Amino acid sequence: MAVAKPKQQRLVLALAALAVMVAAGIVAIFALQDTAAYFKAPSDIAAEPPAPGQTIRLGGLVKAGSVGRSADGLVLNFTVTDMKADTPVSYRGIVPDLFRENQGVIATGSFDASGHFVARELLAKHDENYMPPEVAKALEKNGHPMGAGRPT
Amino acid sequence: MRFPVLGPIPAMAAPDLHALANPLRFQRFATALTPWLLVLGLAFMTVGIWRGLFFAPPDYLQGETVRILYIHVPSAWFAMGGYLGMALAALAAMVWKHPLAALSVRAIAPVGALFAAICLITGSIWGRPTWGTWWVWDGRLTSMLVLFLLYLGVIALIHSHDDKARGLKMAGYLAIVGTLNLPIIKFSVEKWNTLHQPASIRLSGSSIHPDMLQPLLLSALGFLLLFAGLVLVRMRTLIAEQRLEMRAMRRAARAG
Amino acid sequence: MPHFPFIAAAYGITIALLGGFLVWSLWRMRRAERAVEEKR
Repeated sequence: MAVAKPKQQRLVLALAALAVMVAAGIVAIFALQDTAAYFKAPSDIAAEPPAPGQTIRLGGLVKAGSVGRSADGLVLNFTVTDMKADTPVSYRGIVPDLFRENQGVIATGSFDASGHFVARELLAKHDENYMPPEVAKALEKNGHPMGAGRPT
Repeated sequence: MRFPVLGPIPAMAAPDLHALANPLRFQRFATALTPWLLVLGLAFMTVGIWRGLFFAPPDYLQGETVRILYIHVPSAWFAMGGYLGMALAALAAMVWKHPLAALSVRAIAPVGALFAAICLITGSIWGRPTWGTWWVWDGRLTSMLVLFLLYLGVIALIHSHDDKARGLKMAGYLAIVGTLNLPIIKFSVEKWNTLHQPASIRLSGSSIHPDMLQPLLLSALGFLLLFAGLVLVRMRTLIAEQRLEMRAMRRAARAG
Repeated sequence: MPHFPFIAAAYGITIALLGGFLVWSLWRMRRAERAVEEKR
């Protein structure tokens, strides 16, 4: 079988190439964990406070009971939490429909000189749970605040 | 649809005869299967989408926008699954040099690109009312765009050389190298901070309510069958075009 | 935000793209397979 040998060789090489590629992808996932992160959590910020004025994306859950408006109603104040640390945020602009307590949110902005986070853009995050409103209501009644499940 | 009876292939085409032998048998099989895949695919899609649009409940948070799920998720699944299929076909073409394997790469690439495009477009349209933005450069969205671009790259390379075999070979290399991107798409939402939510359907179960999951799975089955049907249609097309080309070449050789 | 235009746009574009590609592919296949049958 003179033909079989290079064929087998090619098969081994090709499978190895495929395995290497998939492995490289998995390595990239872990290696780029910090670089590829779209946002920072409050505990990341507590560990490594960014300089005032430096633009960052802050992500986490809107802390229950933290949402309020300024006296003139133009500024929205709330606290972003990842259950380990909290960052108070103020935002002026259009608030997405899905913004609510215990739901994920990503705020883009920077810390001012006094260390308060001022957001310029506000995006709502959706989690992996999909359910009809009645089910969500029933869950909430039984003491499961919707959206509090994932602290990222 | 009946397969036409084939005349004998002249002996002067001897090197191609071997290459065509299997595609001919394949074509008979494909001709019988294509209408079934297309009709069943469209039927399941219609039922799934119908139930998704008119019978499934709205989401507690997103409201009615959740209905985009029934096309966005299946197109994402099979854009990725199709890529894996294309890479395996490229690998088989490299190892066994079987003409059908190379043909599969050419057949899958545009169908996969179409599914990836549908995934990106519907996702963008869903993102605007849900997240508040059409697009962000987070890990999931970016890696999905890369998948679409990889498909375009494979298509471009196929046509890049006057020597078709060489173009196809380079396209095959890109297809295999691009599998690097598949685990990135899959795990980006688990391991990286992304705007996109993590997977709802996992081995451990689903976090999608059954009333929404059922139309999603019906629609997904439809998308899968349609993907397969479209690939067979393209394979038949490519085989027929190849035969026409070879015939023209023989004719030219005879005339010259 | 009204949901309907977004749902309609998503489904409209998907059906147009899939339908267009399907029809174009079938047309191209028929043309090629007919040519093989006829010009023998």
